[in-house]
Amino acid sequence: MRMRPLTLSCWLLGLLLASVVAGVALGSVSLAPDVVVRVLLGRITGAAVDPVAERIVWQLRLPRVLMALLTGGGLAIVGVAMQTLVRNPLAEPYILGLSSGASAGASLFYLGFLPPLLSRALSMPLAAFLGALLALTLVYLVARQNGMLSISRLLLGGVAISALMASITSFVTFASPSPDKLRAVLFWLLGSFSGARWSLLPLPALITLLGLLGMMALTRPMDLLLLGEEPAAQLGIPVELAKRLLILISALVTGTLVAFSGTIGFVGLIIPHAVRALTGVPHRRVVPLSFLLGAAFLIWADLVARLLLPGTELPVGVVTALCGVPFFLMLLRRSHYRFG
Amino acid sequence: MKPVQLLLLLLLLVLGACRQASGPPDGALTVTDDLGRMVTLPHVPERVVTLAPSLTEIVFAAGAGHKLVGVTTADDYPPAVDTLPRFSALPVNFEAIVALQPDLVLATDQVNNPRDAATFEALGLPVYFFSYHSLEDVLEAILTTGKLLGTEPVARRTVDSLRARLAKLAAAADTLRHCPTVLVLISDETLYAFGQGSYVHDLVARVGGKSLTDSLSNPAPVLSDELVLQLQPEVIVVTAGADYDPARLLRYHPSWDLLPAVRNRRICGVEPSLILRPGPRLVAGLEALLHCLHPELARKLSP
Repeated sequence: MRMRPLTLSCWLLGLLLASVVAGVALGSVSLAPDVVVRVLLGRITGAAVDPVAERIVWQLRLPRVLMALLTGGGLAIVGVAMQTLVRNPLAEPYILGLSSGASAGASLFYLGFLPPLLSRALSMPLAAFLGALLALTLVYLVARQNGMLSISRLLLGGVAISALMASITSFVTFASPSPDKLRAVLFWLLGSFSGARWSLLPLPALITLLGLLGMMALTRPMDLLLLGEEPAAQLGIPVELAKRLLILISALVTGTLVAFSGTIGFVGLIIPHAVRALTGVPHRRVVPLSFLLGAAFLIWADLVARLLLPGTELPVGVVTALCGVPFFLMLLRRSHYRFG
Repeated sequence: MKPVQLLLLLLLLVLGACRQASGPPDGALTVTDDLGRMVTLPHVPERVVTLAPSLTEIVFAAGAGHKLVGVTTADDYPPAVDTLPRFSALPVNFEAIVALQPDLVLATDQVNNPRDAATFEALGLPVYFFSYHSLEDVLEAILTTGKLLGTEPVARRTVDSLRARLAKLAAAADTLRHCPTVLVLISDETLYAFGQGSYVHDLVARVGGKSLTDSLSNPAPVLSDELVLQLQPEVIVVTAGADYDPARLLRYHPSWDLLPAVRNRRICGVEPSLILRPGPRLVAGLEALLHCLHPELARKLSP
């Protein structure tokens, strides 16, 4: 099922474009296609349109689709980075404790378990970001040894810190006295784009695109890292520096995305594998194509989350695995899959 | 006689013997609770615990508040509960309840797990399960509680006065010509609301309003911003306290600026326990809702 890289790129770009169109045209409330087109044209020409449709298409759906695009793309490339870094197909963006750290930070903040002085200075995304960073720093310190990063310690430390942070989240949610806030936190923990707004987009967009550029610059070291650290070092790659840069980029991108949209699982695990199945191992292709496929996938997952129950929201994290697994298993069966 | 029939007969005999052997003593009361379970009370209960805040309020309304020996950690009304021992109800702290030595445990299938009944029975504690789905059921529960706890006259007086307040509200609502469309939200950031089958729609209708989420199939839906924009509610009620700040709603949902409720400043906070807790204070909740929906009428009713 290998395709020529150029053909595949064109296909994925087309898919992404179609996904954006579908994400804007469809939603929990049905709008006629010509109304949607008129709203979008109205933004350009300044023509008057139905204000309710304008709010729905321009203020709710479009920022939401863009947030899903950034999150899907960002998590997919971080998935690539993590799988390459630890040379393990099971790796995903949350393996170093980032998501559980963010969850713990967000629940502590939201359910009012932080000292007032601290919680006044924070917002929910900031608390989540700091939680993610704290978890990763702990893992990093555990894994560092004589100026080198031990991959097995990184993995084990990540699993341990994840468990610790998850139990903090569980305790905080269990001990919380207010059911309303609990529901809101649960919604965030499962991941949702329902709060997406134009004003929230610039920061995740900037970080994600910088992350994409940074990873594009690291594609050759990543190719060689897959061979093993020693061979890579012999071929002149500054291995330790490359590893640290990968962790830094992953932490910034994942931390930011999780802070804004919650912990959406599964995208970062399957998308890189799907892309490898389609185009092979070289990272100069895997990274950008994972971004495209991840973005399209999450837009569709979010669309399903919006459409499944009429008029109501479902956390998108519930949907990603539900939609992704069958597709992924099929791909795994059909192709001559190779990881490294 | 076929062997199966013989076996059945034998079984019946054994069961009958058991019944005779452990028959209730004189003066005992056997009642059927809302789940269809038989509950036997050897005498009129003097020590009662409640497994949900709504039940505590019902016991007080039935005039038997002085018989309560313990309430859940979630209880906050009436103020008399402040001095009572507390226990956790979710999950049930059986040890703490046994230590209180109650002779009746009151539970509701809205909060408690009916399977806990077996544990209480094994501990020798009679447990009565209520199941209420409407305001009428709550009034009925007050009367039942009065009967169970031997305070029936007080319970009847309370219910009569609650009914009088309801009649006054109904008469006032009958004079209304316009029924505004109402969106009742449980929380403002994540839009939890009430779906099909909730008693909240009935409450809104009783004070002359039309609840907009009564046809959603999910009983506890999370609404999308789009749906609210399409529904165009004339009044939004948030059960987040009487001092709710309406500006919060627009801060979390900036696209709602053109909803009639937002433009006409018809966003209203109501104390959550008056609406969400199916107890006697639902009547006070109705009065609060009337304030939100028809302020001029509410002022006329209670100057």
